Order: sequence, then structure tokens, then C-alpha cells
Amino acid sequence: MKVLLADENSQRAGALARLLEADTSLEVILLEAHTSLMDAVRSHAPDIVLVDISRADRDALDSVRALSASGLERPVALFVDEDDEALMEDAFAAGVCSYNVLDTPVKNVKPLLRSAIALYDRFRKTNAELLAARKTLSDRETIDRAKFLFMKQERCREEDAYRWLRKQAMQTSRKIIDVATEYLAHHTRTPKA
Amino acid sequence: MSTSCRIGLLQLADSAPVLVACVLNIFSRHGLEIAPVVVPSWANIADGLVWNGFDGAVMFPPLAIMTALGQRGRALDLRPGLPLSRGGNMLVLRGQKAEQALWDAEPDKHTAFKNWQQALGRRPRLGVVHLYSTHYLILTRFLSKNALNRDTETDIVIMPPARMIEALAAGEIDGFCAGPPWGADATLKNLAFAVAGSASTMPGHLEKMLVLKEQWKADNPNAEARLHAALREAVALCNTPAQAPFITELLSAPMQDGGLGLPTDALKAVLPGTTSTPDVMVFDTESQSTEASFGWMLEGMQAEGWLTPALLDTLKTLGWSDRHGAFHTPAERPAR
Repeated sequence: MKVLLADENSQRAGALARLLEADTSLEVILLEAHTSLMDAVRSHAPDIVLVDISRADRDALDSVRALSASGLERPVALFVDEDDEALMEDAFAAGVCSYNVLDTPVKNVKPLLRSAIALYDRFRKTNAELLAARKTLSDRETIDRAKFLFMKQERCREEDAYRWLRKQAMQTSRKIIDVATEYLAHHTRTPKA
Repeated sequence: MSTSCRIGLLQLADSAPVLVACVLNIFSRHGLEIAPVVVPSWANIADGLVWNGFDGAVMFPPLAIMTALGQRGRALDLRPGLPLSRGGNMLVLRGQKAEQALWDAEPDKHTAFKNWQQALGRRPRLGVVHLYSTHYLILTRFLSKNALNRDTETDIVIMPPARMIEALAAGEIDGFCAGPPWGADATLKNLAFAVAGSASTMPGHLEKMLVLKEQWKADNPNAEARLHAALREAVALCNTPAQAPFITELLSAPMQDGGLGLPTDALKAVLPGTTSTPDVMVFDTESQSTEASFGWMLEGMQAEGWLTPALLDTLKTLGWSDRHGAFHTPAERPAR
């Protein structure tokens, strides 16, 4: 069975390809960069297309069935498992879906889709952790900058500066990072001439 | 406690009322917590409604109808929603002033199209935003009116509206029919000239609606009325020419800053109050009769062979049609 992976995230596409290639009955093709989904489907004639749902050209595959000019001999359509709603919801939540050649038996698709969901989830989690880590780092930097500016302005110690930020946050029911950001914005504004 | 609602949108000027109501706290005043979700394609709008937690979406009726009928994925109970905009779609063809002058000078548009095609030197590739769109139906009407066969004399390429300009510049397509502000953007960038659109093909047609899931309505009684009231307020603001600079700034802001990343000059050319294009977009929440709103779309869709008599009956129960007479059958398809 020929599977086309359409994902602009080359790292994720590569990881999914390695995962699927463990099954020797599958021939896995990666969509080349700057190739449209339709062109790739036309030239490779896959049985299944696993698509990253953030790909804007996915709309073209939606139309294949009705568009006689699409030039595809074997019509493809969005794979829908009517009996397994959770699988479909998980797939869209993870950001992946499958387009199948209409005569491909459904039983072949679900394990593939499950592998893709697991992998996409893993990538999403790693990405979210990375973003959270970056945010924590940048929050800490902002608080430090506000603290040092306060120390300079008020000629006080670091503990006093932090205590002042924390007190402001408690009194106004906000986070320390928000108070720090506001303090910096207020005190580093360029004075008008 | 406020009612939450996730609404799917695309990068289009007619998404403005939802963003305006968010930014100006109109929704929150009506006790609503609206999360607009901007997605890259119409397929994501339909799948978002069916599988991915959207409670509603700003969309054109043909896609809502085909989604309701389960013709692209699982069937979902969707009924006509609040109208948001009318018209605004533009059909543009590759060329600059010289090509436009030739087009304008030839009163017979069949000949004008053939002359343009000859200069192009290939079968024209025309971009449309989705198969199940008002744009596809309008393009089909335009070609049919001018005795041009869409299926044998053109190649239809489906791509999202925000990709059209890049595709035109790269020579992937030779023209397109898309919603605002993309047609105006193509003409302002001297990539294409306008030949037709909503105003000349189907004046005043319903374009975008806010479609809500029946499940959300049932789970949140009275919320629909509040949501509509909030959007009516936002639409009144969107239609005020004095607000155009604010709307332009809002829609042209980058996506990461809560905007839609739309081109500023093109927005100025299509927002209400401007007269630079006949295909100016109108925000309008007034409901018309079912027949006036959807009759021409259902005729076009049936002519394409998308709607069987059984599906048409389902549409009647869902409120998309109240016609007693027959629609065109495929055999009576209008001449193309």
C-alpha cells in the first residue's frame, strides 16, 4: 500500500515515515517541498494520503470527487470513520487527517491514522513544552529587568525590589510578570521632547 | 457566567464583524465569551464543526449545505444562520492595463475571453476558493452566460483565498474568483484586471453567514439571540464609513497580534463607503426569504449533480429550501 505523507514539518514527516516503514507492506512517500498536494497525488497515485491539517492546499483534495478536471483516475475523499468518533476527534485535535482512495478498505487505514495521531501528539507536546520553557525564561528575564530598574530608581536592595513587585501583584490580583512588564513599560518610555 | 463559543474564520474581510465584536467587548457585554479561531482552509472550517470543537463558523452557504448533508465527511445538523455579508466576490484575469483595455473594448465577452486566452497561450487555469462555494457558482454562471464551457475550456484549481495572489504571481493560475479583499489586491498589484463579480453576476447575493451547531444552541438556550444581537451591533459599526480606518487597522494587523494579516490598500478598496469597485462588500444581517437567499445556489448545485431529490428533501427539513416547484435537473442544465 502506497502512503503519501503531506507535512511541511520535515522532522515530523521523517519521524512518521520511519515509524510507518517498520511495516514492510507500506511504501511511504514524502511530499517534496514546494510541491502541491494535488500534483503529488497525481504523480504518485497513493492509496492513502496522510495530511497535516494546517496545509492550506488540503481544500483541493476535498474537491477531487466532484471536479472532473482534477485529472485523477482514482478519486480520493476524506476518510471518515462513522463508528469511531473518538478516533476522528483525536485525529483533528492532533492536527492530522487521512484522504483515501475510495476503494481502499477501511481496515487498512485506522492503524496508520492511530500511529500518525500518536506522533503528532508527541510533537505537539514537545513543542508546547519548548514554548513554555522559553516563556518561563523570558518571564524571568523581564522580572529581573524590572527588579534592577526598581533598585536603581529607588536605591534599594534586590529583596526589597522583589518584595515590592510581589506586593503590587497581590494587591491588584495580577501575576508578578504582568506587574513587571507594566513597570518596565512605564519607566522606560522615552520622554516626549 | 458567560457563554463560551468557538467560531471558525478564514483570512477574509467579511470575517470583520466577529473580530470587531471581540475587540470592542461587544460580545462580553452580551454575556458571551467568543474565541475566534482563524484556520487556513475551508476544509478546516467544515472539519472543525464536525470533529474539532467549533461551535460555529463564518462560512458561505454551499459548504454549510454540503456539510449538513454529509457530502464531505459526517453529516452535521446545520441550519441557515445569521447573514453577515452580501456580495464582494471578484473574478479577475491575468493582465494589466493593455489587456484590460482590450477586454473593455470588446462588447462580446465570449470573444473578449477567447482573445485573452489566445494571448495567454494555454487553457486558462482559474482559481476558486472551494468547490462548494458561492465563488464557484458565480464563476460557473459567468462562463455559462458568455457561452464558455467551464469543463472543457478552463481548468479549475482549488486553493484558499489567501494563496491566490502568490499563485497568480507565480503563474500557477491565470485568474481567480475570490472574496474580499483578494480581487482588489490582485488589481492593485497590477497582476490582474477585474472582469466580473458578485455585482454583475448575482447582485446582492448572500455571501457569509454565521452558522451555529444545533447542539450548541440546545446546550446554551438564549445564547443565539445574544450572539446575533452582538453581531448586529458589530455589523452596524463595520458599515459606518468613518470606522473604515479602524477596521482596516484591525484586519491588517498580523495574525499573531489578533488581526488577519490582510493587505491594507486592498482593504481600503473594498470596505463599505468606498466607490472604487462595483464589487464592494456589504455587511448586512437582514434575513431575506429562504428562496431569495439560497434558491440560486441550490439551482447551481443541483445543476452540478451534487444534490439528489432525496438530499433536496433533507434540505427542506433543515430549513435551506421551501421551494415546492422543481429545481433544474442535470438534464436541463443551463447551456454552457
